[in-house]
Amino acid sequence: MVLELKKPRPVWQIMFSTHHTDVGLLYTITGLAFLFMAGVLAMMIRTHLFFPGQGVLISDSVTFNRIFTVHGLTMLFLFALPVANGVGNYLVPLMVRYKDMAYPKLNAIAFWMNPVGGVLLWLGFSDTSWVSYAPYSVIRAPGPAADMMIFGLKILGISSILSSINFVVTILKCKHPDLPLRKVPLFAWSMMTVSLMTIVAMPSYAAALIMLLTDRLGVSGFFNPSMGGDPIAYLHLFWFTFHPEVYIFLLPSIGMMYEIIPRFSRKPLFSQGSGVFAFVMLGLIGFASWGHHMYSTGMDFTTKVVFMIGTLAAVPASGMHVFNFLATMWGGRIRFAAPMKFAVGGIALFFSAGAGGVLNSAMPLDFISHGTYWVVGHMHLFLTGTIAFGFVGMVYYMFPLITGRMYSEKLANIHFIGMLWGSVQVFYTQHLLGLEGMPRRIYDYPAEYTSWTQLNQIATIGAWILGASFVAFLINLIYYSAKGKEANMDDPFGLGGKYYYPHQAKNPHHIGY
Amino acid sequence: MKRIIAVSIIALIALALVPSIHFAHAQEKSAKQYINLRAEVWNEFFRMTTAAFTVGAVVSGTMIWLVWRFRESHPKNQTPTRWEKLDDPTTGNYEKEGH
Amino acid sequence: MGHDTAEWVFIGVVIAILVYVGVDSWIVQKEVEEVPADAETIKVTGQQWFWSFEHADGTKEISTLHLKKGHAYNFEIYSKDVMHSFNIPDWVVFEDAVPGHVNHAWFAPDQTGEFPIQCREYCGLLHYNMRGSLIVEDTP
Repeated sequence: MVLELKKPRPVWQIMFSTHHTDVGLLYTITGLAFLFMAGVLAMMIRTHLFFPGQGVLISDSVTFNRIFTVHGLTMLFLFALPVANGVGNYLVPLMVRYKDMAYPKLNAIAFWMNPVGGVLLWLGFSDTSWVSYAPYSVIRAPGPAADMMIFGLKILGISSILSSINFVVTILKCKHPDLPLRKVPLFAWSMMTVSLMTIVAMPSYAAALIMLLTDRLGVSGFFNPSMGGDPIAYLHLFWFTFHPEVYIFLLPSIGMMYEIIPRFSRKPLFSQGSGVFAFVMLGLIGFASWGHHMYSTGMDFTTKVVFMIGTLAAVPASGMHVFNFLATMWGGRIRFAAPMKFAVGGIALFFSAGAGGVLNSAMPLDFISHGTYWVVGHMHLFLTGTIAFGFVGMVYYMFPLITGRMYSEKLANIHFIGMLWGSVQVFYTQHLLGLEGMPRRIYDYPAEYTSWTQLNQIATIGAWILGASFVAFLINLIYYSAKGKEANMDDPFGLGGKYYYPHQAKNPHHIGY
Repeated sequence: MKRIIAVSIIALIALALVPSIHFAHAQEKSAKQYINLRAEVWNEFFRMTTAAFTVGAVVSGTMIWLVWRFRESHPKNQTPTRWEKLDDPTTGNYEKEGH
Repeated sequence: MGHDTAEWVFIGVVIAILVYVGVDSWIVQKEVEEVPADAETIKVTGQQWFWSFEHADGTKEISTLHLKKGHAYNFEIYSKDVMHSFNIPDWVVFEDAVPGHVNHAWFAPDQTGEFPIQCREYCGLLHYNMRGSLIVEDTP
């Protein structure tokens, strides 16, 4: 067990360790730190949009553009991926009953690329928007910022490929011989699925980044129409990576819910088989739908139909997960401690995000929704409503395991209610803003559109509630990890029995363990 | 119970059909020479949202009921589940006499 | 009901709904993609950060577009520099302007008035202000 704060160690020992629990801890802390940094940027964006007019909070549009770019990049690459990898590092070796990750040094290297990439992204503060569509990112995006973003993302991409290789090898080659693959816990299955997806998807974006860089240097013209290139090629390369990437962000969160829900329902999982099947299906079908991001780029009817079918095909598999969760809860005796609350809230919002996704994939509705705040609301409902809910639930779940202390359930309640309320208020309202026609990524909107102003103000208040709830989270993380009540390590959540940690981590640095 | 299910299914079907009737009527009025593009697209949107909200009502209703009925403090939920005698209930199975 | 039956029923229902969504949007998309044969062509050019228009008879307009009620119009959408997105929200007209490509969108206004035109794809500094207006006039 890793009792970091009950049995303190010098910080360098954790930093230079290659043990999976230490690397997992570093990943998780880095991810959460970047969550709060990018959250501050989000609060700035929302506060700025409270009133129409320029200079409400942010004095010029370049700064605004830079802020939403870095907010997006940080949340995706420096929060979602590291936290998933952190929890994966903690649990996957234990779940497959191996002493460590397959390549411990590679693991540490993959982690240490994250701060480097993060520093490049934050010092560059590029204004290309996180998608950095060519040719804007080639011919107009200002100087070293965009190049630093390209290098930062390059490093983060390599890092995620390395850690993916590590997970795949750990699960497939280092798993205990007595443990058949189909019985591997579903969280480990989700990590394996997303790792395989990363290995397939990421090279396309890596290539696109290199091409973008050489285009920017002027030695090539892959995406520059004035040199015979085609911007649409960039979109294909980009979305071929980033539609699967959506599932790469999502599936670990689903896997975490698979860890939390049966345990707090005091009941076996409804069906391991359908969970595995749905993970594999999503892993495959995730690659069949990237084109739905490009309906409006002049795609012909047949191509649109193909991508619409590919998108809709992912729904039954997602539905199987939801069914599995609900059927597991059915007939249980559920204890609603913080992790379970977040897991259930995550499932509820997962459904509404998914329903919005079905609407998005219907071809004619693209005229209404694409490029508006509808899309912003939709993908934030996934990223905050589902992914962050799962991650936060898992952080609460592992809190006693990591610190040996208990978080404050009262603060966790405030966090949960604020996060659920805030997410619904801000992201549902953004859907409505999209229907009113408000484009995304705008610095200012005309004051005469009163409905935009009103909806923006509702959304901003929701965002403040969401942001305030994370203050409760921060207090829980910092104060209660040092001063909280000591946890009953056999059964910290009072579920009865000695089954909270079926998998025990042994860190050689902990004397006495 | 059966009657409730039947009535709710009929109500859901009616809910799904109502918008299509209403908007089909609206379409007739505006379509003159060309098809009315925005009416077509928005009708589609309202049909889709009707479907989405119908399914959403079922799913979220089920979830709220589950959370209410199977919380551990529910009066009918005082006896432990049959898996709780295991060291780890999540490792149990659904065979008749769960062991 | 057995252990698996419930799940199969559930998946069946989900697939049925998805088939409905797919078929319905196929039908509607097929309908709205058909450009009327007598539609008048209007060239739309997006550049940082305004829209310019060229009518079939050669008259040019910047930012404000005048059209006649009861006619069908087919937009040919070009871009001079970076990607933009030509959008008239009130008329559900929306298509990207991609440099090096020509895209199409059409509509037939049946109501007079002034409607906003905007850019819906991030295009840099003044993206938020890349606005114009469409004025639909009554034909005598």
